[in-house]
Amino acid sequence: MSNALTERTPTDWNGQVMQKRISGRYAAERRFKAMGFFAVALSTLFLAFLLFTMVGQGLRGFQRTEIAVEFDFPALTSGASAASLTGENADAALNSMDIPGIVELAVTRQYGADGSALLTPAAAANVRQMLVDDPELVTAKKRLFLPVESRLDVAYKRNGEPAAEQTIKMLSEKNVLQTGFNWTFLTGADATDPSGVGIWAAFKGSLMTMAITLMLAFPIGVFTALYLEEYAAKNKLTDMIEVSINNLAAVPSIIFGLLGLAVFLTLFGMPRSSALVGGLTLALMTMPVIVIAGRNAVKSVPPSIREAALGIGASPVQVVFHHVLPLALPGILTGTIIGMARALGETAPLLMIGMRAFIPSAPQGFSDAATALPVQIYLWSDEVNQGFVEKTSAAIIVLLIFLLGMNALAIYLRNRFETRW
Amino acid sequence: MTGTALLFLVLGLGLVGWIFGRARAASFVRAAKGGRRGQVNSLPSYHGWFVAVCAIVPPIIFMFIWQSVSPALVTNMVLAAPAAANLPQDGFARAAILSEARAIAQGFQATAFQAQSDALVPLYKEALSYYKWIGFAGTMLLLFAGGAFAFTRLKPDFRARNKVERLVMLALLFASLIAIITTLGIFASLIFESYQFFSMVSPFEFLFGTNWNPKNVITPGADNGYGAIPLFWGTIFIGAIIAMIVAIPLGLMSAIFLTQYASARVRSWMKPILEILAGVPTVVYGYFAALTVAPAIRDFAVMLGVSNAASDNALAAGVVMGVMIIPLVSSMSDDSIAAVPNAMRDGSLAMGATKSETIKKVLLPAALPGVVGGILLAVSRAIGETMIVVMAAGYTANLTANPFDTITTVTVQIVALLTGDQDFGSPHTLAAFALGLALFITTFFLNYVALRVVKRYREAYE
Repeated sequence: MSNALTERTPTDWNGQVMQKRISGRYAAERRFKAMGFFAVALSTLFLAFLLFTMVGQGLRGFQRTEIAVEFDFPALTSGASAASLTGENADAALNSMDIPGIVELAVTRQYGADGSALLTPAAAANVRQMLVDDPELVTAKKRLFLPVESRLDVAYKRNGEPAAEQTIKMLSEKNVLQTGFNWTFLTGADATDPSGVGIWAAFKGSLMTMAITLMLAFPIGVFTALYLEEYAAKNKLTDMIEVSINNLAAVPSIIFGLLGLAVFLTLFGMPRSSALVGGLTLALMTMPVIVIAGRNAVKSVPPSIREAALGIGASPVQVVFHHVLPLALPGILTGTIIGMARALGETAPLLMIGMRAFIPSAPQGFSDAATALPVQIYLWSDEVNQGFVEKTSAAIIVLLIFLLGMNALAIYLRNRFETRW
Repeated sequence: MTGTALLFLVLGLGLVGWIFGRARAASFVRAAKGGRRGQVNSLPSYHGWFVAVCAIVPPIIFMFIWQSVSPALVTNMVLAAPAAANLPQDGFARAAILSEARAIAQGFQATAFQAQSDALVPLYKEALSYYKWIGFAGTMLLLFAGGAFAFTRLKPDFRARNKVERLVMLALLFASLIAIITTLGIFASLIFESYQFFSMVSPFEFLFGTNWNPKNVITPGADNGYGAIPLFWGTIFIGAIIAMIVAIPLGLMSAIFLTQYASARVRSWMKPILEILAGVPTVVYGYFAALTVAPAIRDFAVMLGVSNAASDNALAAGVVMGVMIIPLVSSMSDDSIAAVPNAMRDGSLAMGATKSETIKKVLLPAALPGVVGGILLAVSRAIGETMIVVMAAGYTANLTANPFDTITTVTVQIVALLTGDQDFGSPHTLAAFALGLALFITTFFLNYVALRVVKRYREAYE
């Protein structure tokens, strides 16, 4: 036995066989590390490519092509005075002016019989807004820049249909086109023509939906988290609550849409397509996220805080509301913001409860028909008209800016206020 | 006065109650200053809260009940009037006229499309304002009665804090019960509608039929096109096969690279990037898949010689969904690898194993249950995902394993069935609920198993 041990020659690490084996193992090590790097790089590249595509297309959505039109207002309006357009009768005076007719007259004088086909349907509304902003305009002879129709817009920005390209070429030679910032996109609502669409109505719908969601999900979520962590006895009811919350956190969002349709719309008869129902549905979806984040935050408050408060005579409710909750609040808020960001980007449940309607003006109340920004993106993405492509991407840019802002705020809150005990 | 304004009025008066209650308690404190300490049981603000809660809670409950009861009362009052006697007996036409008249009376609609509606508008206006005033009076009565009752109860030795704290505990318990109510609500609504569906279409056809072409008029005994096998297959093919082929290797390798190889600086950059990937809304992924990825894949397939490549191919939806899932797989794997005791890793390294050998032969086998749990959660997330498949995958049911072909999923069909203008009781709507039930049960089961596996595994190392 001992003979065999002494007779064995030590491994020759510098020998060819062993060196080859070691270099082979190191090569495997490098390959493995490279694979890991490749995986991370691929995810990053995908994100970069996605953002690049969206920004590349979307920036055009914030621009519009404008065409110069000579307006000889005194001749066109047969001498309306600036004074008649100010004061309380301004609205009636503007309505009686037949602005669409004036615009058509001006544009056909300059560009021939087909002239009015050059302009977007919203051009008259634009002229009206200019007159409201500056009533003196009505006594002047002026060159105004009005947005062109969608196909021409596409053709001017990049490649469009042959006929539109032809027109653009002709107009460019006359030097009457320019690129302006598309204010309508930020202030307008949905329209049938892509040159007149805006995201304000959808954005306001999203804000109203989020307001309802926050008002319901935040208190319910925080209360549930406090109850489960601080007061709940270990019994069947508590187990059921815990199972329900873990389950709700993982239920596909479309199921919440079905719940909203069956319960809020059909059983309770709440108004279809409204921000109220959308907010209720999203609140049920967001609540478990807040509960789970809230429980972790409450759990991380050290017991010494509670014992100290109890020791100087605080009641259990006072301990929680005066000491534990304020200390856990940064963590709860971080979780709430992340949950709200998810709700802001959610589309499927809102489709189920009818928030996919055509909304041509911003909702005024919580029970008005409304739509939300992600649903608007979905609706525009379905349009065949080429002009909607850049508008969809531009709306996505706005949505992403808000989501990234919310996530950045959550990370800031976490780093700034969260205490490590 | 609208409901919102009334709610604010109630809350405002509650604040007034709080101020009065607090002031009264403060006067007790001042009176007791000369006498014994501790004569006033609770702090003044607790007295204020007691008054405010007694004043606010009953009227708000009343408002909710009234909101749901009063429409029926209004309709009854309108129908009882003589002008409503000559309405059509047919329930549907009658309801259409009534709802139009109501919309005009409430100002939601400007003009009537049906002649008989106009006659009912004044009746509706009258009935609406009548019941609105009853509701307003009831709310105010309850508010002042509650406030006055609470105010008379205030005495120096009144245990206001105990009362308020008991109410707070009740509120906490009630908030917790909402989670149970929601779960039961989901379950009950899905079961109820599915039951109605299966009383029309046999469950056998639904679960084992291979023909999905839903007809809105059901012929008993015949094939009505409600065979959901192609949908189940499409869901599994996109969500559990293609997406996972992308997500598992990339997610797992990302987690390994970030936890084992990357420097702290790289990690602090890469982790937020993965979080952004998880935070991009699914509608954006769907748009990207439909606009950029799908045409590229179709062109690639045509280049390879696949002639029937569809522009809404399964591969585009699956790949983009896989990318969406990467952060989930990565963070779950990250957690389970971090939970492996350091002694195991150190032991392996001490024996002379390289890092990659340690990872492949020690860390991964030890972390496997956690990784598998994470993958199950990822599958559950993928099959419930809606927007990517709605926008990038097709609407035609297709029992195929060709990734370049078009294929549909359960969630796509739920959206397709529900977004038409259908009556709620129609077979299409009910079929959507049956599909929803199948989806709910599957994801519930997957999540349950995943959480059990992860929990068991955590306990093993603790």
